[in-house]
Amino acid sequence: MKSYRILVINPGSTSTKVAVFEDKREILMTSISHTEADLQQFSTISGQHSFRLTFIEEALIKNGFDIKTIDCVVGRGGLLHPVPSGTYRVNEAMFRDLKKGEWGEHAANLGGAIAYHIGQELGIPAYIVDPVVVDELGPVARITGMPELERKSLFHALNQKAVARKTAEDLGKKYEEANLIVVHMGGGISVGAHEKGRVVDVNNAFDGDGPFAPERAGSLPAGQLVELCFSGKYTKEELKKRLVGNAGMVAHLGTNDMRKCKKVMKDGDTRARLIYEAMAYQVAKEIGSCAAVLKGKIDGIILTGGLSYDEAFVNMIRDRTQWIARIFISPGEKEMEAMALGGFRVCRGEDEARVYEFMRIERRHLEVV
Amino acid sequence: MRKVDIEKLLREKEVSLKSLSAVVGRGGPFKPLESGTYRIVENLLEDIKADRVQAEHISNIGVLLAHDIAQRAGVPAFFVDPVSVDEFRPIARISGVPELERISLIHTLNVKATAHRAARDLRRSLSDMNLIVAHLGGGISICPIEKGRLIDVNNANEEGPFSPERSGSLPVSSLVKLCYSGKFDYSEMWKRLIGNGGLVAYLGSNDSIEIEKRIEEGDEEAKLVYEAMAYQIAKEIGAMATVLKGKVDVILLTGGLAHSAMLVNWVKERVSFIAPVTVYAGENEMESLAMGALRVLKGEEKANIY
Repeated sequence: MKSYRILVINPGSTSTKVAVFEDKREILMTSISHTEADLQQFSTISGQHSFRLTFIEEALIKNGFDIKTIDCVVGRGGLLHPVPSGTYRVNEAMFRDLKKGEWGEHAANLGGAIAYHIGQELGIPAYIVDPVVVDELGPVARITGMPELERKSLFHALNQKAVARKTAEDLGKKYEEANLIVVHMGGGISVGAHEKGRVVDVNNAFDGDGPFAPERAGSLPAGQLVELCFSGKYTKEELKKRLVGNAGMVAHLGTNDMRKCKKVMKDGDTRARLIYEAMAYQVAKEIGSCAAVLKGKIDGIILTGGLSYDEAFVNMIRDRTQWIARIFISPGEKEMEAMALGGFRVCRGEDEARVYEFMRIERRHLEVV
Repeated sequence: MRKVDIEKLLREKEVSLKSLSAVVGRGGPFKPLESGTYRIVENLLEDIKADRVQAEHISNIGVLLAHDIAQRAGVPAFFVDPVSVDEFRPIARISGVPELERISLIHTLNVKATAHRAARDLRRSLSDMNLIVAHLGGGISICPIEKGRLIDVNNANEEGPFSPERSGSLPVSSLVKLCYSGKFDYSEMWKRLIGNGGLVAYLGSNDSIEIEKRIEEGDEEAKLVYEAMAYQIAKEIGAMATVLKGKVDVILLTGGLAHSAMLVNWVKERVSFIAPVTVYAGENEMESLAMGALRVLKGEEKANIY
């Protein structure tokens, strides 16, 4: 059987991860750090395109890879209009949306754009896999108590889908036949109800919904929030800054680093312990909500992301939710592998690449604040 | 004025003040209190007169009236399970922004009375049971009760499922954007949270009977929104089940909306895996108040100290 060589590109805010997979096997994994000074010369994220591309090409050469031996390129999917889950071929329409930041600017946008660029040059296909805008919400899940505020699907789809597929496989089931709750716990926390292969409900970790997280606010009491908005104490920009990146654990304890939090807890800081426990409490509550979405028919609860390395934290969640279903731990996140596998499934013809279509901007219902 | 009316009514109905064993007034949003029946005492009256309460509310004068009438009758005066009952554990108070603390405000009177009623029907004591009580009225509170204590609840004014008149939890960034959009001023925003939110905002009605009729006539939007409300109620019940670590003896649905078979069935379908669901539709505040006083008069419970 022909084997496939897949180049994987995952741009983060201050680094670019590059990997090469041969079929399912990782043969290169490297991370390029970018200095703040280097990135500051660009006024937009998409302006970093050529800059980062040069580093990627250099990294391949340095590691002895001939770029011409690559069969396909997979880039991290960025902010696009809402799409069903799957592997997408990067086409002109997607490239344009990513470059222009049509649906929001994010470092991940560079992934698909750079992949497209390399693909065009080498005459090979470029893909993205399960971008954060994957939207499979059930109609009832979209409704809030205020008609102009719709619940949106914006979550850690890449990792959630990958670990859900893997766990279903371990259970001897097809992902499309299993009901799972996936809990991605990183700087933001998303809890998804996967019903027979579709994420029919998930808290929007980017828009203040669900549990609070190391850096994010999660759901807040709406009335008090309205008070704060009209208090005159904050401009819109100031409040936004407080709610995204500077909320959750970091607002309470001044750090988003769990190790620091645990260290002060050990030294007897009761406030830190309370916040740590409250975060687990809210994660557990969100799992309970998803259990009701799935009517209690659940094959497994999967805890994943960086926080799932923390045994004490995991045990607090386990204590409150193990009555619902068996709990699986899949620590860290395997984004690179998930992207490679998505590309591989298409190369092998096990999956068909989906087509991204242009959507008129008036239909925009997604905005990252 | 109200006192004169009450005394006139008692005379008309030939209830003599001397025949009363106690007078019960409805409790208001006082300071945070444990749940139970309280004797009305001087320092409560002073707190009300000096506005040392969480909000001005008509129910605050319930205790003033009860006190006056009880004094003339020479009997004790009580109030029972006010909305300001607070038995939260510390972890329940935390939100993702330090100054926005989660607040315990509950439809306590009906929640507690329904819990007592279920315990009686199950021939068990509330003090060794775990329940989830969903009060489904114009506002919706879903309350996990651990051995008689109300350890968490969605504050129906600003959290949890949307309800016939209230918006419940909302996506934070989108809400902030709306607040700064200039489209609504402060009091308009508040009305959209409480009073003009939820079913009213979508369907122009808070009347479940009318909405069900529209659904039966094929109104798709009414069905979607009404079912979404049931969906959110179920999700909140699921969340509260983890607060009790899954050890839930029974789930109770009460309040006016529990009369709606359509809604009840949607909720049941999603939560009956947690525990048996029992419906105690409607609420009877007057009876709940009387029962609270009766438990003390009969010595089943001690009156709390305010």
